[in-house]
Amino acid sequence: MNGWSGKRLRVDLSTGKSISEPLSYEYRRKWIGGRGMNSEVIYSEVPTTLDAFDPEARVCFGVGPISGTAAPASGRVTISCKSPLTGGFGDSNMGGHWGAEVKYAGWDQIIVQGKAKHPVYLWIDDENVEIRDARHLWGKFPREADTMIKQELGDEDIHIVVIGPAGENLVRYACTFNDVYRAAGRCGQGAVIGSKNLKAIAVRGSGSVGIARPKEFFDVCNRLRQGFKDDPMRKFLYEVGSLSLINVANHDGWLGIKNFQQGSHPDAHLMSGEEHATTVLKHREGCFACPICCGRFTEIKEGEHAGEYGGGPEYEHSVPTGPRVGIFEPNAIWHNMILTNNYGLDGIECGGSIATAMEWYEKGLITTKDTGGLELEWGNADVVAKLIGMIAMREGFGDILADGASRAAERLGLGDEGQKYTIATRGMCLPGDDPRGLGFAYGVGFAIGTRGGCDHLRCLASLELSGFMYPGLNTKILGDERPVKPTTTVGKGYCCFYEENQKAMVDCLNVCCFTTHWSYAVLTADQVEYFNAATGMDITEEEFMEVGERVVNIERAYWGRMLSGLREDTIPERFMKEPMPQGTPDQTNVGATFPVQKILPGYYKYRDYDLETGFPSERRLKMLGLDYVAKDLAPLRAKYNSEAEKKKKKYYY
Amino acid sequence: MSEKKVLIFNQEKCTGCRSCMMGCSLYHDGVCGKVASRVAVIRNEVVGESFVVGCDLCSDAPCAAVCPTGACSIDPKAGIAKINAAKCIGCKECAMACPFGVINMSVKTGKAFKCDLCEGRSEGPVCADWCPTGAITYTTPTIAFKAKRREKLNDRLQAAKAGEEV
Repeated sequence: MNGWSGKRLRVDLSTGKSISEPLSYEYRRKWIGGRGMNSEVIYSEVPTTLDAFDPEARVCFGVGPISGTAAPASGRVTISCKSPLTGGFGDSNMGGHWGAEVKYAGWDQIIVQGKAKHPVYLWIDDENVEIRDARHLWGKFPREADTMIKQELGDEDIHIVVIGPAGENLVRYACTFNDVYRAAGRCGQGAVIGSKNLKAIAVRGSGSVGIARPKEFFDVCNRLRQGFKDDPMRKFLYEVGSLSLINVANHDGWLGIKNFQQGSHPDAHLMSGEEHATTVLKHREGCFACPICCGRFTEIKEGEHAGEYGGGPEYEHSVPTGPRVGIFEPNAIWHNMILTNNYGLDGIECGGSIATAMEWYEKGLITTKDTGGLELEWGNADVVAKLIGMIAMREGFGDILADGASRAAERLGLGDEGQKYTIATRGMCLPGDDPRGLGFAYGVGFAIGTRGGCDHLRCLASLELSGFMYPGLNTKILGDERPVKPTTTVGKGYCCFYEENQKAMVDCLNVCCFTTHWSYAVLTADQVEYFNAATGMDITEEEFMEVGERVVNIERAYWGRMLSGLREDTIPERFMKEPMPQGTPDQTNVGATFPVQKILPGYYKYRDYDLETGFPSERRLKMLGLDYVAKDLAPLRAKYNSEAEKKKKKYYY
Repeated sequence: MSEKKVLIFNQEKCTGCRSCMMGCSLYHDGVCGKVASRVAVIRNEVVGESFVVGCDLCSDAPCAAVCPTGACSIDPKAGIAKINAAKCIGCKECAMACPFGVINMSVKTGKAFKCDLCEGRSEGPVCADWCPTGAITYTTPTIAFKAKRREKLNDRLQAAKAGEEV
């Protein structure tokens, strides 16, 4: 078979059995792979009423038809589950080399269900699947577990997915790693994997990915790779990594400082990529087949943390455990990064929860009595580092924050006042970008994201964010150059619709956002071209984007089944009501607010969501071949708008 | 006669992305796979180190010297060792003799295969062409060594300059 392997692996840890399931032509055509197939499995197999930690819950690891090929950055893997953090649909993806290895082992998807009696790990050696004892690995940091498994299996070249102690302790935002430092952070898959007593999945593949039309595929890849050589965005990302955004964010005022109370700070440049590159950068790293190589490897050289090392940093990881909690001292930030990586925590939610607690403390909602004596003052690096460990081990006040900011507010009985300061939507903290002044389409992504409040990559509205670097591009894609201005409402509804579908396809193919619509060296048309050349399926660009729309709709419908829709499509009050204060003299967005409600109607129009419920309309679902989904949603539309339901406050599910 | 170009590998610049391996396997075999590549990237994820190894195009090639059937021999025209698959018996002697371990055995045919500098490709070898960081370059030894010397000198000058500033 070309492109796909044509089969998926299903492992039941309760019975210890694993089976190979064929993937039909129609199924592959409908869902492509990665996020698409995962979302379909979650929708069909995981009831919305099931607890995320129930043994019957599924964790899906999906790779796409062009994973493990020469297509730029084609080694990503999407992990999906019912999120223990939001309670709704959850997925996350990561780079590294594991995704490609899964493909070489001959699988398009791995579904794990059931619960092992004691800690185990999976060893997938091509078609041979073995469940092995992992009791000696339990409690180990990812880097220790990775090394031990490699020694045990006698092969240093295998690739391993592993969780840290946070996942074992069911911290609701524990993340999953592969290649030690590449993390799928959001939505808490690590905890779901931990709840199944699964520590790791080691994979070795001896196969290759077949290509339908090799000459054509080579020519497309070659052309795209040549294009990267002159790409302005590639240069930034390679030289200084995603931390190149720090100085930009600080200047434009969207660096979420002190839980988004500020957007700009005179000391922010200390943690910029430019500074990092000349101080603690050990070397640059690349995920599989990546023409950019934005990965970093850091070794702290001075101060109390001297000698510590690890993969990273990355913008979205470093901002929440740095500026968001008021820390600007770079070594303290790198230390926090290494800590969260060692424990296996999602840096965004971890930093977000601590920052929220700090704001409660500042506003007097909680005191040292609640925190067990910890003085949660902004910028107190020792307390933050201590809390990270306490969260991962679920000790003391850390146990409360381990449930995420929204659930913590409830556990502490802080009510609406407490929830006001959790900068989260649908129970998940936003990443470190303030939508005030950043971009209207991007900000809408926070409101409508199908995995809750994180949509820095799901609706990465690069047409308005990096579009200015590529003149004429908005016209080419949207037919209008005006949306390139971030703070205009013109064309933003369609912009969101388009980018969301596009990013869904990026995740279905499991390539990296940075190589497609961020640096614009690969456009949708190019993706269709290499997809067709690799698989021989020959679909049009319209059909390709329709798959993206289908994926977004089935995920949205999952939320619909949980009675989450229009009313939940909102962003934290702070962004709508509090004008951005001045932090530095040349900050550009002083006084800005984010009028999310102005853009949402336009977005719904293109999505064809019901204007009363915000659920996908029956008409659109049928058009996308999702009749069974339409049937599921039909009785819920009226229920969603019942008086009882309207009164409910849904901070999470 | 002008000097022949060779592949120069600079480990310090390797990010471990394996773009080279994908280009190599796709160009030669029409599939994408690590096992089908003539160039290899070895990674140690824990400490974040990556190494790229490929054929160093030895002029006195051990792979050719040990081949019992003459399948692997120095091609007089190209000046590098090449493997004639028709004569290869799959004994793996060449693979074991290579000091860099860059000769592979085909999973399908069981025969040895090695780098041929992407014979016939006008842009030169794919691995060097696709390497995003300059860890693999295709150039003449003289130019490569000159650049290396220049780099060392620049480092020294920079260090001296930094010393002045302090």
